[in-house]
Amino acid sequence: MNRETPCETARILRENNDPALEEHLRSCLSCVINLNAPYYEAPAGLETKIRERLRSETAPLSRWRWIAIAASVLLAASIVGNVSLLITRTDPRQLVADEVLSAHIRSLAGTHLLDVPSSDQHTVKPWFNGKLDFSPPVKFLADFPLLGGRLEYLAGHPVAALVYGRNKHVINLFLWPATMSGPNAAVTRNGYHLQSWSANGMSFWAVSDLDETELRRFAAIYKQT
Amino acid sequence: MNPARKRAHFEQMVMPHLNAAYNLAHWLTRNSHDADDLVQEAYLKAFRSFETFQGHDSDDGRAWLLAVVRNTCFTWLRRKGEHTAAEFDEQLHSMAQPTPNVEATLLNRAALASLRNCLEALPLEFREAIVLRELEELSYREISGIARVPVGTVMSRLARARKRLQECLAGAMDR
Repeated sequence: MNRETPCETARILRENNDPALEEHLRSCLSCVINLNAPYYEAPAGLETKIRERLRSETAPLSRWRWIAIAASVLLAASIVGNVSLLITRTDPRQLVADEVLSAHIRSLAGTHLLDVPSSDQHTVKPWFNGKLDFSPPVKFLADFPLLGGRLEYLAGHPVAALVYGRNKHVINLFLWPATMSGPNAAVTRNGYHLQSWSANGMSFWAVSDLDETELRRFAAIYKQT
Repeated sequence: MNPARKRAHFEQMVMPHLNAAYNLAHWLTRNSHDADDLVQEAYLKAFRSFETFQGHDSDDGRAWLLAVVRNTCFTWLRRKGEHTAAEFDEQLHSMAQPTPNVEATLLNRAALASLRNCLEALPLEFREAIVLRELEELSYREISGIARVPVGTVMSRLARARKRLQECLAGAMDR
């Protein structure tokens, strides 16, 4: 066996039949452990128990096992059917769109639009440090002045909300690390427009009462900047 | 692999290492009842995932089995709420007291009698490293594969474990 022994010195002394071996064994911690610590051997009967369990793993299937398997296959098929029904009824993107819209309306209805009011992206971006586990890309956009940012809780996790303005309209841009990358989408709901896209592993949702063309332009400029 | 060949291969590579598996599980759990259960569970897991075994000889089989035993035990200990990260107290202990005279300690009967207690008192990762190294006589590389840490970490864990052990044994000396 070509393996290192715990104590090289002991091995060499032993090979040379050196009488110093005995003294070494008493003064070397590795040797002391090796010689004196209990080695727990498997109790009688453990091997038999293991073999029995392994045998039942590989035993040919009995008729009852076949019936049980057939029943579970049927059950699984029924579950898959039901779940896929449920999924088609509640498309995750629709759910996110709902949440984004609610967050947008909430931010305008209350007094809590901005946690960090600033038009300077170098003030807004660092403000998120320590509040999020990602760093949101805060961009300066010529036609859409930055108003600031705030922390939001959306679709089950904390996200960054960047607030941009256009004339008297407010644009909320929500972003978070993408859990799934979907196609770009445009949604209109209750007179609000939503644009979503993903880039660089992040999901973006822009929402505003701005007209659709303008919001699309906002999204395009943000993506190019 | 057909079932009969799988059984035969498993029989040859893994079954002979029952004692090593049990010894490790016993040192990690510190009791025979849990060691017994966890070794059975580990063997079953090992058998189910035996297709992933790529070793060539019985030594590879032993290291592979010990990795499964180790993971089974750690998962169980963690679920039980046992503190498994030694790193925190590795830090604490690095600014330790002067090491007592090794020889004097090891020649001391009372210190030797408390060897088992001192080993059991080691943090889990340290105990694991010592058992694999001094009792199973595995190489640093094999231990690194089993504990899934770099070789350097294995070496520093061993060094710290020995230092702690030394201190514990010195504390048990009759004077």
